Amino acid sequence: MKKIAIRVDDLTVAYNYKPVLWDIDLTVPEGVLMAIVGPNGAGKSTLIKAILGIIDPIAGSVSIYDKPYSKQRKLVAYVPQKGSVDWDFPTTALDVVMMGTYGQLGWIKRPGQKEKKASLEALEKVGMLPFKNRQISQLSGGQQQRVFLARALVQNASIYFMDEPFQGVDATTEIAIINILKELRKAGKTVIVVHHDLQTVPEYFDWVTFLNVKKIATGPVKDIFNDDNLTKTYGINYKVAVNQ
Amino acid sequence: MTGTQLEIQLIAAIVAIACAIPGVFLVLRKMALISDAISHSILPGIVIGFFLTEDLNSPWLILLAAVTGVITVVLVEAIQKTGLVKEDTAIGLVFPALFSIGVILIAQKANDVHLDTDAVLLGDLTFASFDRISLGDIDLGPKSLWVMGIILSITIGLLVSFFKELKVSTFDAGLSSALGFSPVVLHYGLMSVSSVTVVGAFDAVGAVLVVALMIAPAATAYLLTSDLKKMIGLSILFGVSAAIIGYWMAHLLDASISGSMTTVLGVIFLMVYLFAPDKGLIAVMYRQKQQRTEVSLLTFLLHLNNHTEESERHINHLNEHINWQRVRSQTVLDLAQKNNMITITDSIVELTSKGKEFTDLALEYIITNKDEKIEHMKDDFFLFRG
Repeated sequence: MKKIAIRVDDLTVAYNYKPVLWDIDLTVPEGVLMAIVGPNGAGKSTLIKAILGIIDPIAGSVSIYDKPYSKQRKLVAYVPQKGSVDWDFPTTALDVVMMGTYGQLGWIKRPGQKEKKASLEALEKVGMLPFKNRQISQLSGGQQQRVFLARALVQNASIYFMDEPFQGVDATTEIAIINILKELRKAGKTVIVVHHDLQTVPEYFDWVTFLNVKKIATGPVKDIFNDDNLTKTYGINYKVAVNQ
Repeated sequence: MTGTQLEIQLIAAIVAIACAIPGVFLVLRKMALISDAISHSILPGIVIGFFLTEDLNSPWLILLAAVTGVITVVLVEAIQKTGLVKEDTAIGLVFPALFSIGVILIAQKANDVHLDTDAVLLGDLTFASFDRISLGDIDLGPKSLWVMGIILSITIGLLVSFFKELKVSTFDAGLSSALGFSPVVLHYGLMSVSSVTVVGAFDAVGAVLVVALMIAPAATAYLLTSDLKKMIGLSILFGVSAAIIGYWMAHLLDASISGSMTTVLGVIFLMVYLFAPDKGLIAVMYRQKQQRTEVSLLTFLLHLNNHTEESERHINHLNEHINWQRVRSQTVLDLAQKNNMITITDSIVELTSKGKEFTDLALEYIITNKDEKIEHMKDDFFLFRG
């Protein structure tokens, strides 16, 4: 039996007393590449943010390798939605990637040569080394997403959370990103991705969670990615062309 | 220059630096208006503190007033969180309410002391060097120099210690929180520093102008650099320049020092806004004009490439058929000729081999949607830009 990387128990999150996530129980085994799918407003991003303690749930608990998240921060990397930051911020691609090293450093300590070297390697891995000194507003949407991915890679974590990494990127970048995610899985990491494109789920992922305020289903793609669960999640008779 | 003059300039410069540093983060967090709110709503804190301590430079007064500043932020956020009004409205509701309490308190109780509404709004640096600290018989200098010096030292100490935390929480609060750098703690830390700074600077520059000292240097620096450290450095430079130039301007015109400082800041911003090399108005307009000309040139070259018949390649045809104004077609023709892309014989325009190569490449990139490559290609081909 594989180790459990993430365990979520009875998690409920509400905005202004309206539940956005309701009584979610979820266990994610180590080493899977998992998509979270569901319609708009299903609480996909909220689930990630609640696991990472960015928003406080009104009930329930989360554990990462059997300990609360606050004790396991260094095991976890996070890629927020690209639109959640101000890309006009006065900083460079390299500097954004360096931010990924801040967690290991902790308060006050400043990044040095070691962190810089790791960040350059991460930029290299996502094919962004030539743009290291580029101001981030001068990058295209796909390049910005690659920088975010590099920032997560430099955290050298065991679990990666990514909020819609394929949003607004071109096909080349999408392939580049998914290849890196698959490499991470191969290295035994656990990767959780909020995903929108149902067509690509079987091709990209081996594990999937259906979410619509409540958890509909979670498990291996080959077992549970079917019309029945899609219909339960999206509320309509959802036929997808499953490429398998 | 007398000792007093030097002291006033020193105080002004220190106030400017102390304001510029938190100002950078307020501007980047799109919270410029919060500094306006804080600077007004600390008034009741100052007045009450003054009743208790009877000393405008007492550390207790500064702390008490700074707490009022933080309360302002809390109130604004509480009102905003109800979802009934937006942030700007919440700010507009909170600070006049607190400010007016301060104004009433002054009118009621403080008529006979050195705390009048003029001083509150505009401050007064002229007399700053009269209120001095001494140890026995030794004169240690003006009190406000000490107060602002201490505030500035604390600000710089915090900036150096928590620069990376401030940066990441300003840029990406979500990541900051996930990494364990609580954005809430950093937010209130910044708000506290801003409040303390505003209270300290209040006596010197008043409630209205302290906002200019916080926001204008940062806004100016933002137009000039894409590096956070440089932005802070430039803000400090602009703040200090405005303090010194403003002082001498006031001296010459016999006007208010704080008013002159702010005017200088406004002029500096205007200059940078117009002439900044990258983001400045003139640079942007020049770039747009250049791009327009280059697009026209490309259109023109594609047209030549498509038509072999002479009637389509006559110079006059440019005006009629492609429907450009004469000035513009002349610019385009000149640009094409300067770059050796066309030759003109008897008013008939012909593509050169270089022109042909350029056009073919452009066509290929347009079809395959590689806009970036067109920009690169232009750099390769153009010796002269339009």
